[in-house]
Amino acid sequence: MAAVLGLIIGVVVGIFVRPDIPIVLQPYLPIMVVAALDALLGAARSYFERSFSDKVFVISFVSNVVTATLLVLLGNQLGVGSQLQTAVIVVLGIRIFSNVSAIRRFIFRG
Amino acid sequence: MPMSGKREHDLLSKMHSQHAADKENDRMDTGSFPIVRRRPRRRGVTNEVRGHVASSILIVVLCAMLGFGYAIQLNNTTSTYETMSEDELTRLITETSTQVQNLQQRKAELSSQLKSLQEAANKQEEAKRIAKQNEDTSGLLSGRLPAVGEGVVIRVTRGTKEKVDASTMFQLLEELRNAGVEVMAINSVRVVTSTYIADAKGGLLCDGVLLKAPYTVKAIGDSQNLQNAVNIAGGVGSRLKVKFGAQVSVVSSNSVQINEIAQVEQYSYAKTVE
Repeated sequence: MAAVLGLIIGVVVGIFVRPDIPIVLQPYLPIMVVAALDALLGAARSYFERSFSDKVFVISFVSNVVTATLLVLLGNQLGVGSQLQTAVIVVLGIRIFSNVSAIRRFIFRG
Repeated sequence: MPMSGKREHDLLSKMHSQHAADKENDRMDTGSFPIVRRRPRRRGVTNEVRGHVASSILIVVLCAMLGFGYAIQLNNTTSTYETMSEDELTRLITETSTQVQNLQQRKAELSSQLKSLQEAANKQEEAKRIAKQNEDTSGLLSGRLPAVGEGVVIRVTRGTKEKVDASTMFQLLEELRNAGVEVMAINSVRVVTSTYIADAKGGLLCDGVLLKAPYTVKAIGDSQNLQNAVNIAGGVGSRLKVKFGAQVSVVSSNSVQINEIAQVEQYSYAKTVE
């Protein structure tokens, strides 16, 4: 409930405010968004599995975002930024797919 | 053994009594120590509620950040090259430079075309100008056009000793021609290439027109040269004066006007060579 509320608020604010993102942050924003999406879907899955925990969600959210960003930052510094970005996106995408399939199983089983 | 057993019994009873005394002393429900309830449960409940609220707020904030970032990225992706990879940028640059080259080539073609067209136009204009010039020149030459310009006007009066004859008049015209005359007329006759002068009764016959003294020759050319040609010692001027007793006056002018025009000959045999 809180998550949905927060999402709606964020999207509305983002659409109407349209701030300038700092240039430094620009390459990392899409990665951060995907990582956060992964955390959100993981939380949804655990909610369906009746094992949802606020703390775990918050920590996994933050750590997902930070890890993805740091990984891309590291890749940029090593000169393999685009490849590592692709790798992160692929891994997160796989996780998102598996989470979604788990959720789907929960929904359609009962 | 009994000794030791007694001693042991003593110790045991002593410990027993001590324990009893301790228990008596440690009693708390005497009223002297009011029972203060610990509130772990209550405190635990508030902590739990607070934690729940805090984590909910945190979730809201995090999800709001997610949505915010998503929305920004939606607006952002189309307008920036920042997130493009090196390969994409290289490809983009190559494509753009190819396009630029093509456009430059096209521009060069078009400008050369424009140049050639302009040259053609110039040539045409030049041809027109030359044709106009030729027309003017040949018009003046053939006596088709009136002329005006620097030159001299020569008046020859009736000869007192003798009638001025055609050959002398013709010599005068030839002298003027040698001096570079461009256009000339004698009385009312324009002098052209085919002009002839013959003696006639009471004057001279020039191109079928009877001329009578005094004769006025208008000539356009370098006035100094023309004057010299007439007035030169032993020239045609002095011959006219000495032999025929005629008065010769040469007046140079900046604008001698020759309005007489000659009939243009129609050539029936000669044709231009193509």
